[in-house]
Amino acid sequence: MATRSQTAALLLAGALALAACGSGGASPSPSASGGSRTLVIDTSFDLKTADPGRTYEPTGLIVGKAVYETLLTFDGADVTKPVPALAESYELSEDGRTLTLKLRQGATFADGSPVTADDVVFSLTRVRDMKGTPSFLLDGVDVAKTDDSTITLTSKTANPTLPFILPNPALGIINSKLAQQHGATTDPQDKAEQYLNSSSAGSGPYQIESFNVSSQVTLKANPAYHGTKPAYDRVVIRNVEAATQKLNVSRGDSQIALNLSGDQVAGMPATLQVTKTPSANVIFLLANQDSAVSGTTTNAKFVEAVRKGVDYAGLLELAGEGSALAPGIIPSQLLGALPASQAPARDLEGAKAALAASGLGNPTVKLEYPSELTVNGLSFQPLAERIQANLKEVGITVDLQPAPVTTALDNYRNGKEEMGLWYWGPDYPDPSDYLLFLPGKTVGLRAGWKEGASKEVEESGEKAAAAIGDEARTAAYADMQNQLNAAGPFVPLLQPSQNIVTAASVTGLAYHPVWTVDIADLGVK
Amino acid sequence: MSDTPDSPPPVPDTRAGRRPKAHPLARFLVRRVLLALLMAWGITLVTFVLTNLVPGDPVAANLGQRALGDPAIVAQWRAEHGLDQPLWQQYLIHLQGLLHGDLGMSQQSHRPVSEDLAEFVPATLELAGAAILVSLVLGVAFGVVAALRRDRLSDHALRVLSLIGISVPTFWLALVAFYVFFYRLQLTPGSGRVDVALGPAPPVTGLQTVDALLAGRWDIFSSALAHLATPALVLALYTIGLLTRFTRSAVLEVLGQDYVRAARAKGLPGRVVLFRYVLRSALVPIITVAGLAFGSLLSGTVLVEAIFAWPGIGQYAYKSATTLDLPAVMGVGLVVGAVYLVINLAVDVLYGVIDPRVRLR
Repeated sequence: MATRSQTAALLLAGALALAACGSGGASPSPSASGGSRTLVIDTSFDLKTADPGRTYEPTGLIVGKAVYETLLTFDGADVTKPVPALAESYELSEDGRTLTLKLRQGATFADGSPVTADDVVFSLTRVRDMKGTPSFLLDGVDVAKTDDSTITLTSKTANPTLPFILPNPALGIINSKLAQQHGATTDPQDKAEQYLNSSSAGSGPYQIESFNVSSQVTLKANPAYHGTKPAYDRVVIRNVEAATQKLNVSRGDSQIALNLSGDQVAGMPATLQVTKTPSANVIFLLANQDSAVSGTTTNAKFVEAVRKGVDYAGLLELAGEGSALAPGIIPSQLLGALPASQAPARDLEGAKAALAASGLGNPTVKLEYPSELTVNGLSFQPLAERIQANLKEVGITVDLQPAPVTTALDNYRNGKEEMGLWYWGPDYPDPSDYLLFLPGKTVGLRAGWKEGASKEVEESGEKAAAAIGDEARTAAYADMQNQLNAAGPFVPLLQPSQNIVTAASVTGLAYHPVWTVDIADLGVK
Repeated sequence: MSDTPDSPPPVPDTRAGRRPKAHPLARFLVRRVLLALLMAWGITLVTFVLTNLVPGDPVAANLGQRALGDPAIVAQWRAEHGLDQPLWQQYLIHLQGLLHGDLGMSQQSHRPVSEDLAEFVPATLELAGAAILVSLVLGVAFGVVAALRRDRLSDHALRVLSLIGISVPTFWLALVAFYVFFYRLQLTPGSGRVDVALGPAPPVTGLQTVDALLAGRWDIFSSALAHLATPALVLALYTIGLLTRFTRSAVLEVLGQDYVRAARAKGLPGRVVLFRYVLRSALVPIITVAGLAFGSLLSGTVLVEAIFAWPGIGQYAYKSATTLDLPAVMGVGLVVGAVYLVINLAVDVLYGVIDPRVRLR
């Protein structure tokens, strides 16, 4: 009996010891220990893979950018001009169909073997033919090796966009011999993903030390990297909720927090650096043009009433500092974006007049949106509620129909939403990505906008697609957006701010519209 | 229990003379395991049906918007994950895999679900195990103290504490605890299971504290213990509250029994009366509640893991559910179901151990 009470006493003591230990073990600053520099990045994971040929999520692109190199890249956050990376030069033929790239000599993979033209051909063909998420990037592009240091990419029609697509980390060059030993092929039967998720076959500044899609990714500096050695030897990317990210970075448990909302960065300690940049995501409203879906939103005067009735300034305030209004569907970072001076403004009287002219009386419309989705920390729910209130003043009753994103996407993709609230981020930083908003194209169809629905808009789109040279393209895409704003079913609203909080010791951080952050660019103070 | 005035439990078997043929515990276990298998099959069916009833297409959750526009990519993805088969066939394939110990491939991690679970389950077991240990010890101790000091100050204080434990939502408590202990007071470490600079211990059991001890790394052990303390206590608070209340009332009921009075009257020391007479009789209701409460710990871990960035099955389940990763969701469902079954079995066996009048049938 005595033993039993002793056991109980022991257990109690153990529990108390556990509790006591908990309050004693404050951790040292991670970056300071062991002589090596560790960087901890907190972010909300949307990670699926570390196989560059299958990567298409923001977190995955951060990892891909660090581990793999691409033929071309961008200098800092400037996405208007592709610059050499693994290719030392590139040239687009006059008809825009052939892109010739000269391979840089001396670049090596982590295992010391040189990056060859064969690796390039294998990597790009693999992305294209594996039919993974990013394979559309190279749709219809023929990849060939002319000689040991020359690659030609040939498209069926003029493809001036290609130099802007090549910097995408999904098109990172993999060590083809190594990958093939682990099941890599250039068709859907490829089996290399599991291998690429645990080790890396790239030539980038970092290597994968450990990789877990739902909790943590650890990168270590690639000792054989042929470029400038990165400032941090070890980088830990952790999956952390936004609220916890804020506390971690404030206390020095992490050095970078990527997903804080405007409200969350408002009261940050002065010792931290807060970068607020409009993201390249444009949030927009769509009004369905398919008469089978709605008899209300197909009315052009109704769309005009919505466009004039939204209180843009109010939405911008809701989105928080650093956000920007979207004058057109193309975000401000890209060539062809409309100037900020053309930003939309509310015209309540004009909206009421348009509604009266529509002959619809006081219509009721359904607005569908992904309820749990946040874009750069901004939630869709309050945006939708604000729009509902705005349009109420015009005389339009908005029936909010939130749904989980996977459910909401179904109706959106099938063009069944009467009205929808969504966002679009560029697949590559070139305005041609936004041709998808035209009648009969992917996003146009989601708004029930069929081919031939609007001749002027379609013509302006064709002109923009065919324009060559920066000046001509800028003018043509501006014209296309003006036409879209005048006659299209889309109401661009805003670009939410991408807020990045960094410790004072971290230097060189710039938000990048494609890969968010280039870890190798970060310095230490 | 009230008809046994002079003898403390164990109480003589009222059906003496009718000796069971096989060992009753063995028979009981065999029956329960068979039943558990049936239940496990039921769990697979329910999770499969429920996951497929959810409106929404796994393809939409897993492919980018551009890729969704390409029917070839969508078809390729469906074929790769067996989603092009009729539903009943998908279920049969899944069952067939299960019988071979194969839980299928996760759509998000592209690894076998069993590998994913092997990685995440130990983290949750460590967290929930610590919470169970703390709540059993503290909950029972508090309950006994409250009962013995009935209507005194300590009783009232403990009742308020248990009320708080039961009524405060776990996710809120987790946020507040993280804010206060980590951020304000700077007493506890931040996210994760162990300091990132130390790195995890070489994996053996998957339990960070145990692995650190096995590797002889005291620095990792203390870091892991420190990381474990706050989430485990947050998670335990609800069960501590519940156990305190039930222990208190169970002990109070036994304290009023004649045999306890008799034991006291014949001059037995208070400690003997408490442990041998009172607590042993009070344990049956306590164990019932504890079994139920530990099951609920598993649902609590989803929220606690999210706040403390604890890489356990809670996080995995959440991510799997939002990406409609059917094999992963079913794998988690199976694990959680199995845990419930084991706990229930353990509780039933314990009844017999504690109170021999309870016959295992």
